Amino acid sequence: MGKNNKTVEGLKGNNKNPFSVPDGYFETFPTRMQERILSENKEYAWAIKIFRYVKPQFALAIMIITFAVISITTINFILSNRTSIDNDLYTRIIEVDANEFTEQHFIDVLLEEKKPVDNHKKDESDFYIHYLLDEDIDYGTLIDEF
Amino acid sequence: MSDYSDKELLTLFNDIEKRNYAFNLIVRKYQDKLYWHIRKIVIIHDDADDILQNTFIKVWKGLEGFREDSKLYTWLYRIATNESLTFLKQKKTKYFLPIVDYENQLKESLESDEYFNGDEIQCKLQKAILDLPEKQRIVFNLKYFEEMKYDDMSEILKTSVGALKASYHHAVKKIENYFKED
Repeated sequence: MGKNNKTVEGLKGNNKNPFSVPDGYFETFPTRMQERILSENKEYAWAIKIFRYVKPQFALAIMIITFAVISITTINFILSNRTSIDNDLYTRIIEVDANEFTEQHFIDVLLEEKKPVDNHKKDESDFYIHYLLDEDIDYGTLIDEF
Repeated sequence: MSDYSDKELLTLFNDIEKRNYAFNLIVRKYQDKLYWHIRKIVIIHDDADDILQNTFIKVWKGLEGFREDSKLYTWLYRIATNESLTFLKQKKTKYFLPIVDYENQLKESLESDEYFNGDEIQCKLQKAILDLPEKQRIVFNLKYFEEMKYDDMSEILKTSVGALKASYHHAVKKIENYFKED
């Protein structure tokens, strides 16, 4: 037939089902299906049972983790903000306080502290002061330059 | 049993006390059609049996939420088709084989299959069908063997009627060429 009819239409009549099934397959299939569904339901029920048993512990664990995450995030946020505020604050204090004191105030404080004089440093200081006086260089001008 | 319409079966299924009975009726009504549809895609009886069971499990789980936008019959076919295509994909992934190789294996298994009763021409036709791309194969099987309407096929495969007609036409040409070459 195949040799003479090369079209699918020519194969008409061959569209019968060429496959078969084991004996009694369709008679037993609904019962097997019911059994399978019962076992699926049992598995599902078992999963629900386990879930119900662990649900309180699970909920508690989730609560603790959530609390810990929120706490850590909040503390980190506060700490990072506080550092920047502190830096700003320190800078402002130094600026304001420095303007309120004159050079004489600092000298008075140093004298009050009665620190022991380092002779080597004193000689060096004297040398610089004499040099500045000899060359007639104003100390203020020097500070401005550098 | 088979006197129940799809609508009546769905109404019965929605009654929780009669759910098991209704589902049993649905299985009895559609098991043959779905089995043969699946069998023609996967060829081997044991595979078709597994897929049919999985199909009905999905139907059992999904039937409660089934909206009657489509017919029950086309919905069942769609699930069976998707399950069969998923099965073929899994076979391909499992053995790291291109799908063509798996289909060559199926061609070889046809001749030794104790549940294949076709003659030489029918065997050759099945081999020609196995050479087609998966979707074209399904279209050809539904039209040629089950004489399904294009409208129903369109609902099952979510493809336009025009595209299905073209697909069937190409499938026929390829099968004719297969016979000519041999």
